[in-house]
Amino acid sequence: MDSSLLSVAEQLLKDLQRTYSETNKVPDDLLIALRFVFGPCALQALDLVDQRSVTSVSSPSSRKAFQVLGGSGRLYTCFTSCHYCPCPAFTFSVLRRNESLMCKHLLAACLSQAMGLCQQEQVSDQQMTHILSGQTEAST
Amino acid sequence: MADILGVVFRRFAPGSGTTDLVFPSGVEGNTLVLGDVNIRRSVLFLSAVTAATDLGLKVLFFTQTPFQSLPVSLRASVPGLKLESLKNVKFVYVKTLEELVEDVASLHELASDVASPPSLIIVDGLERYLQGPLQDDPGPVAHVAALLHDTAAFLTQIQQSRADGQGLCRVMLSFQSECEGSRDSEVPDLLLSVLDRYLQVRCTFEEIAGQNEWQVYLSDTCPSSAHQGQQWHMGQQAGGVLEFRPVIGEGQQILDQRDKSKQGNESC
Repeated sequence: MDSSLLSVAEQLLKDLQRTYSETNKVPDDLLIALRFVFGPCALQALDLVDQRSVTSVSSPSSRKAFQVLGGSGRLYTCFTSCHYCPCPAFTFSVLRRNESLMCKHLLAACLSQAMGLCQQEQVSDQQMTHILSGQTEAST
Repeated sequence: MADILGVVFRRFAPGSGTTDLVFPSGVEGNTLVLGDVNIRRSVLFLSAVTAATDLGLKVLFFTQTPFQSLPVSLRASVPGLKLESLKNVKFVYVKTLEELVEDVASLHELASDVASPPSLIIVDGLERYLQGPLQDDPGPVAHVAALLHDTAAFLTQIQQSRADGQGLCRVMLSFQSECEGSRDSEVPDLLLSVLDRYLQVRCTFEEIAGQNEWQVYLSDTCPSSAHQGQQWHMGQQAGGVLEFRPVIGEGQQILDQRDKSKQGNESC
């Protein structure tokens, strides 16, 4: 994936963060830009944001991660420092085909963080270990 | 090129000493090491010892099988070695990918208790953990590489919030892929491309047939990086001592990078 597209995506998320904090809305031109850069998963990700499907999980050690509740009821753990999601779409479209920047879950996590719409949850350090190692991604 | 291997190569270059060695800062430098299994293990071991003894860093070394003997002649390679400082290296023997992931995922639990969390996390031979169907599946490889990246970022944050704010944590991971050794291969290696997403520096060892010598290529996989690749020459002397020499034309660049890393001005 072209690194310049990644830079465009990062700038777009910054613009979204600034605009949403000022107006509490996502203007049409930003929606069009999101659709253009991220493809069809942009609308699916915005649906997940609307449904408040993204939770920012943190533990006493200060370790953080995102958990995204997918449409099937499955929880997907995404990391805060790099792009990763355990869903099949990430493996296929991002890792194998290299034709997408993100899957809808990862994009939903980025959008929710930019818009300040993440749910917040505290867990123990041991629970965080299970979350990070992918042991809590079975259906809820 | 700011990475732990750059420090190791300079440390074991002719005429070098330990007085000017610094752990590079200000840039992500997680490293993927490719090459023959024995030489990879030796270089990882040497990196661990250098980090622990010369730089005084804590090192976590994940490997599947215990070292039966020292992979390089340690005393010959590191004259004046203080065995006390080797206590900074903790070897963790994990048999399966699940165990490796669980151990790395739990490192944050130690961060609040331990006075100084690890500054270097080494994973020896990831391919050994990818048996059967895992060999062709990029998902588990992405998970462990992303987890290592995220853990290093977290430990860096913890270290920088303490003391002088200078601490950081790096990852070194060695891997052997099917197309290894054929740099010009047009067949993209899926697992290597996945690892490149999370490890910013790639170090490739190519053996020069029958000479007990290797060409060493250091390249930056960070797309926005302005760094050029570096080339070193590695020779294994009698007794197993490893010696590194910058390839002519690249040496000046390496020295320049050393100066820059001292100033902490590099950015990725």
